[in-house]
Amino acid sequence: MLACAVAVYMLVSVFYLYVAVGESWNLVVGALFDNRVLGAIAVSVSSAFIVGSLAIAAAIPTAYLLTYGDFRGKGMLETFLIDLPQTFPPVTEGLVYLLMLGRIGLAYTYVAVIIAKFYVSAPFAISFAARRFREIRESGLDMIARSLGAKTRHVLGRILLPLSSRDLLAGFSLTWARAMGELAATLVFAGAVPWRTETIPTIVYLTAAATPQVAIAASVIVETLSIAALLSFRWIAGRR
Amino acid sequence: MKELHVQDISKAYGNIKALDRAELTVSPAEFMVVMGPSGCGKTTLLLVILGALTPDEGHIWIDGKDIDRLPLDERNIGYVPQDFGLFPHLSVYENIGFGLKVRKRPEAEVHEEVKELLRVVDLEGFEGRKPKELSAGQRQRVALARALATSPSVLLLDEPLSSVDEATKAEVRVELKTIQKESKVTTLCVTHNPEDAFQLGDRIAIMHSGRIVQCDAPQNILNKPMSKLVRKLIAPIYISGMEGR
Repeated sequence: MLACAVAVYMLVSVFYLYVAVGESWNLVVGALFDNRVLGAIAVSVSSAFIVGSLAIAAAIPTAYLLTYGDFRGKGMLETFLIDLPQTFPPVTEGLVYLLMLGRIGLAYTYVAVIIAKFYVSAPFAISFAARRFREIRESGLDMIARSLGAKTRHVLGRILLPLSSRDLLAGFSLTWARAMGELAATLVFAGAVPWRTETIPTIVYLTAAATPQVAIAASVIVETLSIAALLSFRWIAGRR
Repeated sequence: MKELHVQDISKAYGNIKALDRAELTVSPAEFMVVMGPSGCGKTTLLLVILGALTPDEGHIWIDGKDIDRLPLDERNIGYVPQDFGLFPHLSVYENIGFGLKVRKRPEAEVHEEVKELLRVVDLEGFEGRKPKELSAGQRQRVALARALATSPSVLLLDEPLSSVDEATKAEVRVELKTIQKESKVTTLCVTHNPEDAFQLGDRIAIMHSGRIVQCDAPQNILNKPMSKLVRKLIAPIYISGMEGR
């Protein structure tokens, strides 16, 4: 019973937005042609792709270190790389970046959008890669490859990466979705400069009070894109 | 053909001694079987020789050379684990040629070598298949061919018949022995199954609690078991009547 209640709560939270749009679907369609919304979609989607790609590039060596590294404090490092970014208040993180990197002129730039989103999103990719690398290590396939003369580059290129490709894709997908929805850190560190740093969540936040219809339309767009990304993740995972 | 000598190897996991001054010599081209109950330290012994585990004490010698400090990828030891450990994303051809490719052998040489090994393990025509498309016996032969491709000094086999069904076991056992004799590679095989040990081994080392308690030719072990423990471990052979064969 409780489980049903939780499921209903979760589903309503996700899909109520589509009900709230009601008969205002023309507003959503109209928003798609609005210059400011178009700019926000461009910034959101492109920055999420960049963050996803950077996260995968960072996840591979990081996961390798977390799997094969033999050093004190490895558990703590993992907490800092994977768990903490997901629990750390994004608004505080945005403030940290503003104080730390604002002085070198990075605040309110497109780069600031990437930096802010990367911190909260990349742990998904790292976590997926580390989990898969550990599974492969437990299977002993890397050890067999080494017994055949494989060096680290061979183990990585011929065993770990090919056997992790779907997990890396899934990690990319979740990272992308998380980056799409990121608001607080981006708003504090990158601001809301149209066609440069303004994202869809930023528009939703800034227009919710004055023009709620625009906020709802923008929300429908970001939510639809996120659901599409997550369905693609499930599809990838289901093919394993 | 090289000699393997395991000298006073000890290895502990916390308070549990997996290997307790284990000592063993495998002559060139010999098929040595280490037999003992589960948990007696057999797999640990293999992994120490392979270089995947570092022993607390003792030395490993191959042909008079101390290989203790050599990393896993430089030991040139063939290893076939219990589940065969085939790379699932690679074809039979790619699995067998893996060791040669990472050693940067010319493509033509890799091709010739893999072709020859496919003939030896009787898998010609299967080169394009993935491991999941093979039977357990076929997977084992691919794993053997892959381990032999790099002309290893020593071949290590971990419970090689445990994944093979009873119906084909006798056949696979003969194939395994034939391939080993043909390749003349010094082989150390571990098993808990007395029947496999007595069918495969030129000599058998009985292991218990991390120590080799008796090492001799199969017939000598049957005729003169050194202790009650050895007698108990080889009891299934007396029961099956295999000792007269």
